[in-house]
Amino acid sequence: MDKIFTKNIEHESAVKHVTGKAIYTDDISEPKNLLHAVIGYSNCSKGVIKKIDYKDVLSSEGVVDIITEKDIEGINDVGPIFKGDKIFTSKNIEYYGQPIFAVIAKTNNLAKKAALKVKIDLKISKPIVSIEEALKKKSFVLKPKYLTRGNIKDGFKRSDNFLKGKLYSGGQDHFYLEGQIAMTIPQEDNNFLVYSSTQHPSETQQIIGKVLKQNYNSIHVIVRRIGGGFGGKETQSFLFAAITSIAAKKLSKPVKLRVDRDDDMIMTGKRHDFLFDYEVGFNNNGEILALKLMMASRCGISPDLSGAINDRAIYHIDNAYYIPNIEINSYRCKTNTVSNTAFRGFGGPQGMFCIENIIENISQKLKLEASEIRKINFYKDKIKNTTHYGMRITDNVIEDIFNKLIKKSNYKKRKAEINNFNKKNKVLKKGIAITPVKFGISFTTTHLNQGGALVHIYTDGSIHLNHGGIEMGQGLMTKLALVASNEFGLNYENIKISSTDTEKVPNTSASAASATTDINGAAIVNAINNIKSGLNEFIYDYFKTNSKIKYENNYVYFDKRKISFKELISTAYLNRIPLSSSGFYKTDKINVNTKTLQGRPFLYFTYGAAVTEVIIDKLTGENKILQVDIIHDVGNSINKRIDKGQIEGGYIQGLGWLTTEEVSWKSNGVLTTHSPSTYKIPTAGETPFKFNVEIYDRGFNKEKVINRSKAVGEPPFMLAISSFIALKDAVCNANKGKNSKNLIAPATAENILKSLH
Amino acid sequence: MSRAHIDFLLNEEKISIKDLDTNTTVLNYLRHNHELTGTKEGCASGDCGACTAVVGELKENKISYRSINTCITFLYSLHGKQLITVEHIQKNKLHPVQQSMIDSDGSQCGFCTPGIIMSMYNMYENKIKPTEENIDKFLSGNLCRCTGYLPIKNAIKNMYSYKSDKFSKSKVIRLLKSIKRTDTVIKKNGSKFFIHYNLNSLIKDYQKISNGHLLVGGTDLALEVTKKRKDLKNIFYLGSNKDLNYIKNKNNNLHIGSATPINDILPILENIYPTFAKMFARYGSEQIRNTASLGGNIGSASPIGDSLPVLIALNSKIIIQGKVKKTLLLDNYFLSYRKTKLKPNEIIKEIIIPIYKKNILKCYKISKRIDDDISSVFMAINARIEKNIIKEIKIVCGGLAETPKIAEKAQKYLLNKIFNEENINEAKKIIKKEFDPIDDMRASKNYRTKISQNLLERFLNENNKIKSTLY
Repeated sequence: MDKIFTKNIEHESAVKHVTGKAIYTDDISEPKNLLHAVIGYSNCSKGVIKKIDYKDVLSSEGVVDIITEKDIEGINDVGPIFKGDKIFTSKNIEYYGQPIFAVIAKTNNLAKKAALKVKIDLKISKPIVSIEEALKKKSFVLKPKYLTRGNIKDGFKRSDNFLKGKLYSGGQDHFYLEGQIAMTIPQEDNNFLVYSSTQHPSETQQIIGKVLKQNYNSIHVIVRRIGGGFGGKETQSFLFAAITSIAAKKLSKPVKLRVDRDDDMIMTGKRHDFLFDYEVGFNNNGEILALKLMMASRCGISPDLSGAINDRAIYHIDNAYYIPNIEINSYRCKTNTVSNTAFRGFGGPQGMFCIENIIENISQKLKLEASEIRKINFYKDKIKNTTHYGMRITDNVIEDIFNKLIKKSNYKKRKAEINNFNKKNKVLKKGIAITPVKFGISFTTTHLNQGGALVHIYTDGSIHLNHGGIEMGQGLMTKLALVASNEFGLNYENIKISSTDTEKVPNTSASAASATTDINGAAIVNAINNIKSGLNEFIYDYFKTNSKIKYENNYVYFDKRKISFKELISTAYLNRIPLSSSGFYKTDKINVNTKTLQGRPFLYFTYGAAVTEVIIDKLTGENKILQVDIIHDVGNSINKRIDKGQIEGGYIQGLGWLTTEEVSWKSNGVLTTHSPSTYKIPTAGETPFKFNVEIYDRGFNKEKVINRSKAVGEPPFMLAISSFIALKDAVCNANKGKNSKNLIAPATAENILKSLH
Repeated sequence: MSRAHIDFLLNEEKISIKDLDTNTTVLNYLRHNHELTGTKEGCASGDCGACTAVVGELKENKISYRSINTCITFLYSLHGKQLITVEHIQKNKLHPVQQSMIDSDGSQCGFCTPGIIMSMYNMYENKIKPTEENIDKFLSGNLCRCTGYLPIKNAIKNMYSYKSDKFSKSKVIRLLKSIKRTDTVIKKNGSKFFIHYNLNSLIKDYQKISNGHLLVGGTDLALEVTKKRKDLKNIFYLGSNKDLNYIKNKNNNLHIGSATPINDILPILENIYPTFAKMFARYGSEQIRNTASLGGNIGSASPIGDSLPVLIALNSKIIIQGKVKKTLLLDNYFLSYRKTKLKPNEIIKEIIIPIYKKNILKCYKISKRIDDDISSVFMAINARIEKNIIKEIKIVCGGLAETPKIAEKAQKYLLNKIFNEENINEAKKIIKKEFDPIDDMRASKNYRTKISQNLLERFLNENNKIKSTLY
């Protein structure tokens, strides 16, 4: 498990990506008689359907049928864990974009045309849209949670200074480039083959089973790759796969549902926006002694994954800082908006956003260097090393990373230059910030921390590799093929990467929580060890040896002999040795009390830090990122090229969340930003050319994770908080040192201008 | 006698079409009729670039290449052109842009990659220098959600260091030459698609048909099909019309054919009005600038069309051609929200932009995102300042009213005043009352108002050599 991988190869599909030959769900050769589904959804956020007239829909060209709630044999719900996510409503409208029916027609275009012809008679009522409204009306999807540590009163009593205020972080649309899509093909015996762009094939299978009222073993889900997920296809894909399956069963024809971009943005959940109300007590040197916090998020209409997301926000409110006395009240607000869902970081970014803003506000109040205040508050090794949820931190490297980055980025010198620049410039003002990241790895829902694999060796020595993880661009397949090639001592090219398939590895967890490589990699190693122990027994017996056996360079070494792997396998086959095995892994050590949130929710932490320098225009609020410097810990990397891609991409996605990406709701609950013309994710122009990323050179995972590497999917996203804090610094500088407390995220030009005095 | 089919090259194969729906987009054609699924649909509105392909056109015996969004390009507009898709650029070995992309780790999920590859191919074939500015400009129409663009930028920087397979373009040139560029009408299911090569025949046909749709870049029109799912009955494609595609500089006026692509106008503007050109570099994306036109911007008359305030500030005129030809000052063209003096059966033929040699032109575009975004506020100022006296001034705003609008009171106040802080402060007070903008997802009413004031301050700052712009 602790071997070093030297081959830094490119993404396994890179050649296919650049030649257009990589197959996504919409590119699969269409079966004969394929029909297309389009969803008809509500255009108001709250009301009651009095009458629906489908006459014009049914008579529209190319229409074959309409699917509604009545066509569902099993449950009318695609909610994961908790129920509440109806497939179709027939009476109550609870949010804008709620599905009411699906048209099945000969082409996607004809289906959409028909869907637009529906006449719905509605009685509209007043929705709850904002977090504030929901708090006022005590409208929650789940019970509030409370966490405390230490003695908050005592903490405030001992503090020299106090600060209180409100903070807000905005929502975010996933904007995966490949929109939601599913295709269901009927098989014999009422079985269904489902292709879905999903991060979670097993739950897709289970949900379709429940919706069709069939055994799970009659549903077969295959995913080769998806065109981006970021959490947006962890549960949000279920609706579409359920609908194609209902229709395929009813009509005995294959059915595809490719969701139009606007419909996708309207019908699927986003990152939770959060409201924070804090009171913090601290010493004259900036050391935090007490934090009292109310946090509330917009969950939308149903629980979906909101419980775990808000828990993770609580778990990351400390980021890298020791907060001795703390009291948190967390509210999970129910609103008449589409149910918000998983998004890279899963509540972690929002928690960290809160504490980093508080520290910046402390720094502005005390007029002390913010990086020093951050350092003072860092968790320490021997003391101050236990989190507010009772987990002891044993792998802390934040101070080392932070100090290295301050030096490497020339932070101090640049800060002085910025002061100088600001003195000379009346309109343009610069700012800079360094922020740390400490992110916990594991699903906080303990039972999800399991993975499976299936490995075959064919008689020519070639390997077929299967596991529960989904390739969504993060390079999972590349890393896991490297793991397999390393274990067998074979060239990477000998490992066949295949689609993720519920008939090969059952009951898998979603590719989420950054843990996919950890969990599935370990399961693969386990499967390979099973095969190898059989092979080793065979070698001892057949070659009459008891020497140590090594698998390297496509050979197997024992005594002073070597035989090619291929020869070993063909001989083993003739001697009836099993050449296939499944493997299983569950993460040890983790446990959590779901009520108090105390325990050890994470196997380990990843660390990183970023410096961002920005410039703003005082007259318009326009802004620009000038330079980014990052050091990030990925443990002992399996593939640095791929890890670096996650760090860079994560940062820029986080930058979008905090700057240009604004999810905008009207007060009547209608979403106004549902296309790339109104919802602006970063373009190349937002990415600064001065962007220096370094992988932490002393990275090593203290836990026994594959290659001692660390998870990398989510953590880098939060490095981008430095951009927001830098903008805050610039605003403070523009305000002649007065604070910039009221800057909210996203820091659009408008929000920046608002925060200027 | 018009021809009733179109001919074009799909990569290197000559194809004739007449039987497909007149509203068919190039993207759907590629994916459904040829199973060329490398070209992806990301948004179907020309905003994300996943569907990017390159179009080659014969110009003086050479092929000129441009990137386009195939999702908003109508198939029949390809007549006489070559369409190059991602599947085709690899010859014996990968094309340099492909190899460079792989070596720089420019793809993660890979869904945006074919489109980005085609934008890179467009740069490569046009031998665009990979400066930071050019890279941002040529990538402005391609969204990537995974990589954060850094490895893609590196791939572009390095792509010229790879050798490409040499192959002859003579076959393509010969095939393109064999296609006759004559007026064409496609008739299918009661709908028509017209391609004209001169103004007279266009006007003749356009007069006969009521509710004809004029098409150049299609950024508005194609969305009627891809988003609102309408059937457009009669489309008149102007992009190939020689009488609408030209730029002439005579008697201190630029005469621009209404269908001339923005990217053809840009290099000329760079010399005459650098600030105008700089604004245009942020107009839509590279793919949009390759097809969009001034005529389209004026014809659709959006209150947030970025070229309109500038053209008005410069006292531009338009030539309208219907039964008769008339010339109109653009100031007098707009009536109300998307309503203009253009009558049915009339078309905009030409835009005349006066060249002021002694004036300052400012083009201030404020938007949420810098590239490929619609402005929340746009302000164009055309002024002549002599000895610090404002001798001439025209201030025109976009995004503040239902049409592009002149800040009449503010400019009247400033005329013949000293160009100083005191007077600008007074003008700021005046302009605040002059507009009553709306709240929407792009900006609030308050922000728009504040910006209109502050941009006047920026104007003064810039005159006083105080650094006041980031972009």
